Amino acid sequence: MDEDTWGSGLTRRRVLTSAAFFAGSTLVPRPSTAAGDEAGDLIERLAGKRATESNRVHLQMPRVFPNGYTVPLALAVDSAMTEAEHVVYVRVLAPRNPIVEVATFHFVPKRSEPRVATRIRLAEPQEVLAMAEMSDGELLMARTWVDVATNGCI
Amino acid sequence: MFTATPRVQVPEALTKGEIFKVRALITHPMETGLRRDADGRGIPRKIINNFTCRYNDILVFSVDFHEAVAANPYIEFHLRATESGRLEFVWEEDGGSVIALRHAISVY
Repeated sequence: MDEDTWGSGLTRRRVLTSAAFFAGSTLVPRPSTAAGDEAGDLIERLAGKRATESNRVHLQMPRVFPNGYTVPLALAVDSAMTEAEHVVYVRVLAPRNPIVEVATFHFVPKRSEPRVATRIRLAEPQEVLAMAEMSDGELLMARTWVDVATNGCI
Repeated sequence: MFTATPRVQVPEALTKGEIFKVRALITHPMETGLRRDADGRGIPRKIINNFTCRYNDILVFSVDFHEAVAANPYIEFHLRATESGRLEFVWEEDGGSVIALRHAISVY
């Protein structure tokens, strides 16, 4: 009997959530805008300030990849890398992983270029984020969607 | 017991001012601390949490690794050739042990 109540409750909830979902999608013309706010809020929570979406940050990952254990990631930031104007660090986040932080790369003006590649684990298909802190304190970000077929158990 | 083996690849000869690619890899399981063994006990976290590269003792590049970096962490990065000398690569593991590798470079 308990099970029945629970069962019907769940069904109703399912109906309600899917209704809300559809209502949401008609109200918000571009669902990506809503997702963008989510990513933006996450970055603000972690870094203490808002990031600006920028085409100076290039985050390259395969759109679809067979397994989540070792997904290639390449990133680059357009910067002169002078003392006056450079990239301090780039932080990579996977918001749908059990642990959101992936890696942070630190650069030194005139000595290293903000251009790196590595391999990461993704627990499920998701949008991966890269945020770059510039020497003037500005935060720039880029994002890319990655569909993993088997999830990297992390 | 497994041993972490580091490997790096750096170009043979460099021209002053040139940007060159460094590839660094270390064999390591990168145990996340989120998995359980067959008896249901948690397997403690043990990852390489940091990597640094020094060029004639000056820090030129570093990375903080978290759990989501794949096993056998591989990193490709770019440095500017300033003078001949030595590159030193250091990987730091949870618990404090470090693995270091040195590599001579010639800049003409």
